Amino acid sequence: MAQTEKFVLNMGPQHPSTHGVLQVQVELDGENIVGATPVMGYLHRGIEKLMESRTYVQCVPYTDRLDYVSAMNNNLGFCMAVEKLANIEVPRRAEYIRVICAELNRIASHHVFIGSLTNDLGSATGMIYAFRDREKILDLFNIICGARMTAHYIRIGGVAADAQEEFLRDTQKFIDYVPAMLDEYDRIFTGNEIFQARMQNTSIITKEDALKYSMSGPNIRASGIDYDIRKIDKYGAYGDFDFEIPLGKQGDNWDRYIVRLKEIQQSANIIQQALDNLPEGPYMAKVPKVLKPPKGDAYHRVENTRGELGFYIVSDGSTKPYRVHIRRPSIVNLQALDTMCRGMLLADAVTAFATIDPLMGEVDC
Amino acid sequence: MGTYFEIDKLELLKAQFDTAEFDAEANEPAIYIGKEQLLDLMKVLRETPTYSFDRMSCLTAVDYKEYFEMVYCLYSRRFDKWVTVKVKLDHDNPEVESMTQIWEGTNFEERETYDLMGIKFLHHPDLRRILMPDNYDGHPLQKDFVPLEPRIEGGVLTWHKQKSSS
Repeated sequence: MAQTEKFVLNMGPQHPSTHGVLQVQVELDGENIVGATPVMGYLHRGIEKLMESRTYVQCVPYTDRLDYVSAMNNNLGFCMAVEKLANIEVPRRAEYIRVICAELNRIASHHVFIGSLTNDLGSATGMIYAFRDREKILDLFNIICGARMTAHYIRIGGVAADAQEEFLRDTQKFIDYVPAMLDEYDRIFTGNEIFQARMQNTSIITKEDALKYSMSGPNIRASGIDYDIRKIDKYGAYGDFDFEIPLGKQGDNWDRYIVRLKEIQQSANIIQQALDNLPEGPYMAKVPKVLKPPKGDAYHRVENTRGELGFYIVSDGSTKPYRVHIRRPSIVNLQALDTMCRGMLLADAVTAFATIDPLMGEVDC
Repeated sequence: MGTYFEIDKLELLKAQFDTAEFDAEANEPAIYIGKEQLLDLMKVLRETPTYSFDRMSCLTAVDYKEYFEMVYCLYSRRFDKWVTVKVKLDHDNPEVESMTQIWEGTNFEERETYDLMGIKFLHHPDLRRILMPDNYDGHPLQKDFVPLEPRIEGGVLTWHKQKSSS
């Protein structure tokens, strides 16, 4: 029998399937993985430090650049933390518009997930389908705020501009299209035999492991743990809506895919309810031109598309935050990568990277 | 929305740990604890069935110039409760017990706090830099931080103190 020697393979930072500049040092025994160490920092921009020298209002665009495929959710997290610190009451209409945008962005982010996953598994066609539908959402953002990805639409105290008739009409059109879209995905990917064989029973994260590594978001729900900040905290207007939390069974790659697919439908349900009950009124609270929150600290968390996104802000009573800490779900979830890859074949590592769905802008901050 | 830990339970903890303190007047008072008793307090918070704070939601440090402050936001999934634990650390030699001994998932967050703020975590399994280059000498989130100058020396990227500009 041939003797094999342990071998360390560097995947990334310029590998197409690591989704950005993630470097993973994969330790191999033949073709079996015996360890995987993520190496980050290639996209570190020091956003936490930069925020200390900007006013609260100037900080908001930086949050767009954290998780750049779900910018609205990041805006929401930061703005809600500042509102908690400064005791700003947000008008009801603004809360609803925020929910519509955040959920649209969640769908768009899951499109990127599905697109890049299928691309990594060798189906470049799949990517085109998912990105075609994502384009529809980006066009909606273009209508409402003039930007497609780095939206900077949710502001401290409300939203930047009122939702126009055109936006509401086109959003309704998109929501009506969602069932047909999911049906198409089922026919193209979900039913595909190769796709199923690559995903089922690979890279299992058990309930215990998911809790041990403090995972959050769709990754922990795929392991069967009911943990969704939207349901637990009911922040913003989320308490008004009726929606389910899809759960996986065993926490393999397949469950992580199915959970996200089902989440798209749930997000669409939330948007439908928000559109039906959209209250009239102002879209922006009265926020002082020079915002000086009282001395103190506040921690606020929201459910972004990757999990539990928290902002811890310390105010010293001046116009600039004394310290901002961002609890990013992607970097915490990455801790499970070693457990996921261990014992798998090298080809399965690519699937594991894709389904854990790290976004380097957020990991490196 | 989860609610904050009850005052009477905070009183119980205060009786149990002699270095524990909290501001009874404040709205959501954080528990301040001496760094020697931190690990024991955290074990009590996590393991006592009537507390069961099973999630470390946020772990970070703040530089207050005279001292560092570690901030731990804990969440209990079972009772839907929050509590904030804070520890003051000496500015010259910031050292604290690692929470990986109780919550393994704090590994990367502690590495980040070490990298950017310079807090040393005792009994951490793998305390290395995570975001900054390995040969970087400095901790950017400290308030008196001065950026280092990059230079290529013998094909290797090295970092040097800036010459004082006149």
